Parts: sequence; structure tokens; C-alpha cells
Amino acid sequence: MRERKDNMKRRWIAMALALCMALTLAGCGSSNSGSSGSSGSSGSTGSPSDSSGQDGGKTEPLKLNVVNWKDYGPDSDLGGYDFIRDFEERYNCEIVLQYIASQDDQLTKLKTAKAGEIDVCLPNCTILPDAIEAGLLKELDTSRISEFSSLYERFQSQEECMKDGKYYAVPFVWGSTALAYNTDDFDAAPTSAGILFDPAYSGQISLRDSYDDAIMTAAIYLGQDPNHPSDLEAIKNVLLEQKPLNCTYWKSGDDFSKLFAGKQISVGLMWAGQSASMKMEGEPIGYVVPQEGAIGWVDNWAIASTCQNEDLAYAFISEMLSADFQYKYASSGGPAPTNQQAAEQLDPEYVKAAGMDEESLNRLYFKIARSNEEKTLWNELWTEIKATAN
Amino acid sequence: MRPNRRKWLSAPGLVLLLGFAVAPLFIMLYYSFQSDSGSGAFTLENYLRFFSKPFYMELTRRTIVNSLVVTVICLVIAFPLAYIMAKKFRRSSMVILAMLMLPFFTNQMVRVYSWLVFLQDGGILERLLNALGLAEGRLGILYTQTAVLIALVQVYFSYMVITLYMALDRLDDSLLEASANLGASKVSTFFKVILPLSWPGMLSGCLLVFVPCLGSFVEPRILGGVNGTVIGTVIEDQFFEIYGWNFGAAIAFVLLVMVMITTTLVSRIGEGAETT
Repeated sequence: MRERKDNMKRRWIAMALALCMALTLAGCGSSNSGSSGSSGSSGSTGSPSDSSGQDGGKTEPLKLNVVNWKDYGPDSDLGGYDFIRDFEERYNCEIVLQYIASQDDQLTKLKTAKAGEIDVCLPNCTILPDAIEAGLLKELDTSRISEFSSLYERFQSQEECMKDGKYYAVPFVWGSTALAYNTDDFDAAPTSAGILFDPAYSGQISLRDSYDDAIMTAAIYLGQDPNHPSDLEAIKNVLLEQKPLNCTYWKSGDDFSKLFAGKQISVGLMWAGQSASMKMEGEPIGYVVPQEGAIGWVDNWAIASTCQNEDLAYAFISEMLSADFQYKYASSGGPAPTNQQAAEQLDPEYVKAAGMDEESLNRLYFKIARSNEEKTLWNELWTEIKATAN
Repeated sequence: MRPNRRKWLSAPGLVLLLGFAVAPLFIMLYYSFQSDSGSGAFTLENYLRFFSKPFYMELTRRTIVNSLVVTVICLVIAFPLAYIMAKKFRRSSMVILAMLMLPFFTNQMVRVYSWLVFLQDGGILERLLNALGLAEGRLGILYTQTAVLIALVQVYFSYMVITLYMALDRLDDSLLEASANLGASKVSTFFKVILPLSWPGMLSGCLLVFVPCLGSFVEPRILGGVNGTVIGTVIEDQFFEIYGWNFGAAIAFVLLVMVMITTTLVSRIGEGAETT
């Protein structure tokens, strides 16, 4: 009797132990759930599911294969307006979206696509040079893009979009990573990147835990070219000195929101987009591109070399760059428009708060492509800074 | 012959083990000897890189020390609880076991973020301690090593309790009675009877805590602040930030070798304890 009871007990304990381990491990897996919903599946949004071309005498609508981020640009929520459906009706076509998980993913998709599989894609400046070099993009005739001349001047001649004076991509939207500050703690907006390195704000600062952002920001502060820093040793030293001034480094946008809302920090490095949406939610947050400049990014539309419907692709890109669409997108919480006319229609206060004004734009350093060696070097430098206790 | 006929029953388990544990391990091992240049040739550069940079050594040392501290704290807290469960409140031991398991029904991320809210300046703990007059003003625990230790102890101390409980439960009560009858004090009973007999259980409990602590990265990342970097977070960065699979795999293998050495040493000590 006693033995049986003991066995039962042992079985219970074994089960308990197994359960503990299983649940702990299950928890580990979920810690990197950030990159979900990015499977390469193509889903056409908005179009009625029954294909009308099958029976009746109608012609099969043309397909336009668009590579895009999920819930981004044409796929985003524009306050009740369904761009994709509207475009499909007007051009009697079907838009097939292919979602990407990262820029590298996009590059791989372009490299492996067969003729007709991708028509339009959305590379940023970090993969553009590679994509152009590898012949993955078609040369663009900007005269076929209806409102190209309404783009900001700097976007009409964006270096990374061109090769040998020929266009291969056109800028769609842009944004920046700069200073966000608590308006309750500052009488006037800080103007210098030096505020992130100022011991007066010790414990109330938060840089992002990203080797790219940290090194570029330090380079800007030191007056070096953030895309080609001349003195990494100086950057390391200034970041090491800055380290104890941080409350913590933030990783996800949610981390930053918590730190800011909990009044743990009063100034930090932040994305323009999130800063603007936090302001709309009523947080006392200000955003400024300091006089030294800040990190910027641009997403560009391009026509893939596998495209077989150039006319439709040009029509799509024209719509994307039109003041009408760009205004709708920016005013429903999207990133900054490249079309100057769209920017001028926006509420000037919102434009300023989101760092979308032309002055801020002209102070940005756009992130460029980095070689693997450079990434490894920068990442190791940042690891060393994080590993050095001080 | 009879047992042989049932051998095939082990096939599903073996397939799982070989296909999803052993094979991936060898794939990672292969990566760790690959160069980033993609030439495909065998290279030691990833391992050399790790051992040639003093800060990787410093991180390794810090990771080991932190894991040891967590293990010792777990042992000290868990032993009295396990002893009471096994020897004093036998009837309620299952209830305590169930309570120990309750936190595991909460996702790890939720638990870590709960600690964030609990420990932060102006958070629950600070207000509680201020109200009780035990502390004044800002706590400043969050974003320090202490916060990481607290969170890791909370996660892993259940393992320690359960293994210690199993060891102490097996310990025959008549030995304790005999010890008392023969005039041994409670202290010498503890050191001469209880401790030697529960030694193997203590060792396996320590392993169950120490090994996962070595590889932890979520708690240090979220609660550790600017000095929270440990080997686990470096491996994570390699895989998710720069796709540095080769170097990431090499660090992971260094960690694995450390784990294997510890396990071997501990089981040797355990065997020694059981034979004496």
C-alpha cells in the first residue's frame, strides 16, 4: 500500500518537473515573435473572391504583382478608403501582394523571381545599390510617372536611386530616427544631439540597443560622416562615456513607450513615426531633428526586371507618388510623404511634430548599404561597449 | 526475444531526437567552422575571434558568476521548503507542489514584464516598501543585475524545490530517528545524515538551475539595463541583428562545451558521494 502511494507520488513529481521544463522552454520560443505574419504568401486584398474571368466572355484581368510590407503603403488602413480595390476597378486588374519580412528577404525574392512573378517592388537605400548592380530592376522613365516633378528636389535626384545618371527607383516615403523629449521637462525643444551625451540628464536618457543607430548617432554628434565614420575609436569612447547616463537601452518601440509613459526617461533616440503616434495618443512628447542632423531612411518604388506589364506598373507607381494618395497616407498616420504638394496640404503643426518638414529633411543622413564586414565590425564594437562594465 | 519485439516502439522518440535535436546540433557545429566569406572551407576563425577578444571572456565570466549566484540563492531558499514538504507537512506537499507550478502557466514574457512593472521606480514594490517604512524614495533596482537575479531565481527555484523534495522524500525517517536516539544534535544530524544522503539530489537541482541560467537572454535583455549583456544576448544579437550564424553558432558551442564539462564534473562528484 505504502509503496503504491509512493509510486503515485513519484509519478506526480515527474509530471510536475516535465511540465515546468516544457512551459519554460515554450516561453523561450515566444520571445522573438516580432517577425511574424511575413510569409511569402500572396493575398489579394479587397477584390471579390469569385473570379469573373472564368466563365463569361470577359477577359481575364491583368495581374500586378507588388512586393510590399504587410499593412504598409497600398496595403495600409487609410481611414475607410481601400486603395487596392479602387485601383483594381479603375484599371481592370488584380493586385497580388507579396509580403516581405526584411530587406534581405526582398532582395532574395527579386533574385529568385521568374519572369512575370514580380512587377513592382519597394527597396530601401540599404539594398538598392545591390539590386541595381545585379540587374534586378528596370531603368525608369520618370516622364511616365505623372507627378514626379512634384517630389521634393532632393528626392528627384536621390543618389541611391540612380546609376550612371539613370533612374532605377523613385522615393515613396521617408522617415527619421532623432530626438524625442518630454515636453514637460523641457521649456524649449533641444536643438543639439549633445543632449543625449549630457551628464545633466544622467539616468533620464535612452539610446536604442542597435549597433547601427548607436554608432551613426555618435558619429553625427562627433561631426563624422555617419555612413563612413572616420574614427571608430572616438565613437567607442564617447558611447562608453555615454553608457552610464542611460536609464536603459530600449529595443522595441513598446519598450520606449513604457519608459516614456512611466516618466523614467525624458529624452531619447526615437523614430519619427512612433513619436507622432504617441503624441496623437496624448503623450507630452516632442520630436526634433537636431542641428547636427539625424538618421534617415527612404522607401522607394521600383519596377522589377521580371515585370511584364510596364504600363500597369507605371500607373501604380504614379498613383503611389500622387499628392492625393500621399496626403491620404500621411494624414492617416503613415510616414512622411516625398511629394511636396502632399506635405503642404498636411497640418503644419503635425508636420513639425513628426519631423516631416523640409528643414528637418535636409539635415538627414540616409542609411546606406553596408557590407557584411562592416556590419560585423560595428556590431562587435557595440557588443564591446555593452560588455564593458563602468 | 520478447523485449526485442517491442524495440520499434522507440522509433518515434528516436526520430524526434535524431531529427530535431541531434541533427540540428551537427548543422550548427558545421556552421561554427564556416567562414563568413562563404568559401565553404573549414576554418577556426570564429572560435579564434571569440577567444582573442578580452570582452567576450569577461562576458563569459560574468555569465558564469551570475548563474552560480542564482543557483546558490535557489539552493538556500529551496532547501528548507523542500525539507518541510518532505518531512513536516507531508499531506500538504502536493498543494505546495501545485503552487510551485502555477507560475509556469504564465508565459515567460508576461512574467518578465510583470517584474518590470513590479520593480520599476514608482512601481508596486517601491510603494509597498515606502508605505511600510522599509525604504525611502527611489528603489533603483530595475535595470540592474539585482533585477535579473530576482527574475531568474523566481523562474528556476521551482526546479530546485522539486528535485530536493524528491531526494528528501526518499530519505528514510528511521535514519533520522536513529540519529536522534544515538544522541546526535539536530545540527550534526543535518550535516552527518541529511546532507550526505540528499547530496545527489542537490547536485542535480543545481544543474537544473545553473545550465538554463547560462543560456538565458530574455531576463538580462529586458531587466538588466545597460549592463545586462550576457553571452545569451550576444548569441541572440548574432542571429537576429546581423545574421552572423557562423559566429553565433561558435559561441553557442563554447557555451555547450562549458555545460558538458560542468555536467560531467557534477555527475562525477555525485557518483563519488553515492559510493562513500
